[in-house]
Amino acid sequence: MNGTPPSDPDDFEDPLSNYEPTQYRSELHRVLAEEAIDDMQSTPSAQVTVDTSIRGATKMLSELKVSSLLVVKGDTLVGIFTERDVLEKVAENYVELADQPVGEVMSADPTVVYETDPVGMALAGIAVAGHRHVPVLKVDGTVMGIVSPKRVLRHLSPYLN
Amino acid sequence: MGFRDELEQDTVASLPLRDAIVVQHDTTALNAVKLMREKSLGCAVIVDPGGTPTGLFSEQSLVAMLARDLSLADHPVSDFTDAGLLVVKSSDPVSRVWDAVERDGLRFVFVTDDEGRLIGVTGQRGIAEYLAERFPQQVLVQRLGNTPWMQQREGA
Repeated sequence: MNGTPPSDPDDFEDPLSNYEPTQYRSELHRVLAEEAIDDMQSTPSAQVTVDTSIRGATKMLSELKVSSLLVVKGDTLVGIFTERDVLEKVAENYVELADQPVGEVMSADPTVVYETDPVGMALAGIAVAGHRHVPVLKVDGTVMGIVSPKRVLRHLSPYLN
Repeated sequence: MGFRDELEQDTVASLPLRDAIVVQHDTTALNAVKLMREKSLGCAVIVDPGGTPTGLFSEQSLVAMLARDLSLADHPVSDFTDAGLLVVKSSDPVSRVWDAVERDGLRFVFVTDDEGRLIGVTGQRGIAEYLAERFPQQVLVQRLGNTPWMQQREGA
């Protein structure tokens, strides 16, 4: 028997009874602070495996007209390969590098956000961390999608007035 | 006043600008790429002899060339221009850049003074920074990282 006396339901006080939800100056403030990233568009996203060739990944960027590819090993995100990686790491030595795996030149361990993070977190990844594309993970760590400036602005547009 | 009103009232001059990379139509893609790498900027603007912007060579142009196994040294930038060239004046409202990014998906927007002289480039990054600065308590306080949140938690 433990020392906790049986509680009387009539004595119960709801600790949240005085809870007052945060007041925001506008809907835009609320959406940035409270709305979860999974409410905004984060798909489609394009993925490659870590052993895809640089040539194959570059063709995929071109054919899909996307500017980044999520690099995965199984269900796990291991990196991101972007047009900026092509410019900075590949372009001038493309002939020599084209058959190497994309894992050699991808940006490993990228900044990520989670589906439950607020929309403001996605914007921080772009505006503060300086990444044009930020991968979105589910809470179990598997890949969900990607957010971009266009997707963030499109999500915020209905709340501008 | 809604945020849309602020976008209409603020001018493009209030956006962060970066120096534009200027190339001629016959500059090779390889030389443009070297400049873009050096400045860590994803595009170069192609100008005519009078200095007027006529085209855009971007990372997308570069990817399109490499995907076709074309030699960067053998092709001028004018062979692979990006369709998304937009030039605005610094006195134009910020909403022009917002709309270009949100509706048209443009990454870069070139900015001139009122006399038409090129003074810089803005775009996705510029509008994101502008937005973040206006909502510091919702954006700038966020704790970013690449470690799964389960691993960030302390204690048992």
